[in-house]
Amino acid sequence: MLKNYNLNTRFQRVFIYIFLTILLIITIVPIWLLIVNATRSTVEIQQGLSAMPSTHLIENYRILLGRGLNLWRGFMNSLFVAAATTIISVYFSLLTAYGIVVYDFPGKRLFSNFIVILVMIPMQLSIVGFYQYMSRLGLTDNYASLILPAIASAGSVFFGKQYLESIVIKDLIDAGRVDGASEIGIFHRIMMPLAIPGAVTIGIFAFIASWNNFFNAFILISSIEKYTLPMLVQTLRGDVYRTEYGAIYLGLAVTIVPIIVIYALFSRYIVSGIAMGSVKE
Amino acid sequence: MVLDKSERKQSRSKVIVRRRFKKNYYGYLFIAPFVIGFLVFGLYPIFNTLYLSFTDTTLLSKEANFVGLSNFQRLFADDVFTNAVKNTWLLWILNFIPQIGIAMLLSVWFTSARLKLRAVGIWRALFFLPNLLMPAAIAALFFSLFSFYGPVNQFMVRAGLLPEAKQFLQDPMVARGLVIFIQWWMWFGATIIILMAGMTSISISLYESAMVDGASGLDMFWRITLPLLKPILIYVFVTSLVGGMQMFDIPYLLTDGRGSPSGSIMTNNILMYLKFSSSKGHIGAASAVGVLVFIMTSVCALGIFYFLRERD
Repeated sequence: MLKNYNLNTRFQRVFIYIFLTILLIITIVPIWLLIVNATRSTVEIQQGLSAMPSTHLIENYRILLGRGLNLWRGFMNSLFVAAATTIISVYFSLLTAYGIVVYDFPGKRLFSNFIVILVMIPMQLSIVGFYQYMSRLGLTDNYASLILPAIASAGSVFFGKQYLESIVIKDLIDAGRVDGASEIGIFHRIMMPLAIPGAVTIGIFAFIASWNNFFNAFILISSIEKYTLPMLVQTLRGDVYRTEYGAIYLGLAVTIVPIIVIYALFSRYIVSGIAMGSVKE
Repeated sequence: MVLDKSERKQSRSKVIVRRRFKKNYYGYLFIAPFVIGFLVFGLYPIFNTLYLSFTDTTLLSKEANFVGLSNFQRLFADDVFTNAVKNTWLLWILNFIPQIGIAMLLSVWFTSARLKLRAVGIWRALFFLPNLLMPAAIAALFFSLFSFYGPVNQFMVRAGLLPEAKQFLQDPMVARGLVIFIQWWMWFGATIIILMAGMTSISISLYESAMVDGASGLDMFWRITLPLLKPILIYVFVTSLVGGMQMFDIPYLLTDGRGSPSGSIMTNNILMYLKFSSSKGHIGAASAVGVLVFIMTSVCALGIFYFLRERD
């Protein structure tokens, strides 16, 4: 009977690996086509599918930039917005999370439950009121309107709180106090260095979210020289590039490859971050 | 002397305790930037949107009149709005079911002690990859793959699966199917990670004692895994719902940005954007869309959250 059981398991395993392989092909093929086609000429692309890269990367690059699309300005804009958002989001969410974890102030439970609810509330739907308010302040078409809201990113605070709860050592804080450090000094000089792995995780998520954010930028930013990458993607779909498939794929690859590189470097942080953000109790 | 020392120690720790109590008020200083940021960039825009939804404000006119509920009345009378809401639900539900289904199946396999699959971490990491990629670029990619001269047509025609190239994106069913597929494709990997985190936190001893009692794998899934996974499932359900109700990038960039063909992939947020960007910039009406969807989503999300929670 045991032998039967093993055989059964083995068959099941083969079936599962086949299933996983099919799923993997579905997952990877669109991305692979995108990257491969970025190196193939339009003629080659129209002649048929290929899994192998070709040699027309530079040619595609010339066509891509030759039609009035300032890809690198878009790239730098995205990089700037994403980096600034990341720094603000990491610092302020750790600050807030530290406040919740370390101090037993009245209303603390209420506040941390409130944060959980904020994570669930669809804030993006108030974008019209946000836009009109920013335009009254003269902050539309200004990166400040994209960056500053990161001060209050509930998701990051939630994660930061989970993380700090696992690493904060109250004795260390007391030792700091005995040494005469100020409360904020303890946060900066003792806790921040300890919280670097958590900060990296929060930072990666903030960076990727900002890098990929199309909707808010699309509504708030209007002048072409301030366009971020996702907004330029729209231009790629336009008439100028109608038949230049190689160039289109290259343009899309530029937006995606940096994220793939980040993922290759930090996949462990990212995967554990997703898992940790969800397991609460 | 010894006594003296310990007494002194005690009184010192009392001082620290008392000081810590006072220090607790520092908590407010630490959370202050968040609270201010939230009031300025989170709460106020919500109230402003609510206020605008009762007015006929446009982007061009400086003055705004209070028009009561007429923006809402007009929306409810407008087929485009009801169609958008229906579509958004449809697109979300049809991507959520296969998403949770496949993710559940794979999570059970990946965590199974009997199957002992290899390289689980690598499979999982690869399935998750699409989630990180820019949705705008993904939509443009699929637009290009399924365009008239695109690779999908070439492949199908050459392989004899289609007699001639087809205008895929002009077929409402194909457009909807693609949006659903892309959403599924981007999210099932993330759901696997979350479900697996939940499953691995369930104590193995529960399964062991069930096995001693002669429970089958399926029994254990229904009696142990699923009930204990409930909080995680609620989390996945709610976050997916909230995200799904705001679906924008994919359907917007997959076709002409107006939900074509024939409004089949028009979503709540596309409609809101269309009102916002119309030639007059009717932000009163756009706000009304935002408010209604906000209320609908929040009520559903918090409803699921509390209704399913308090029963444990």
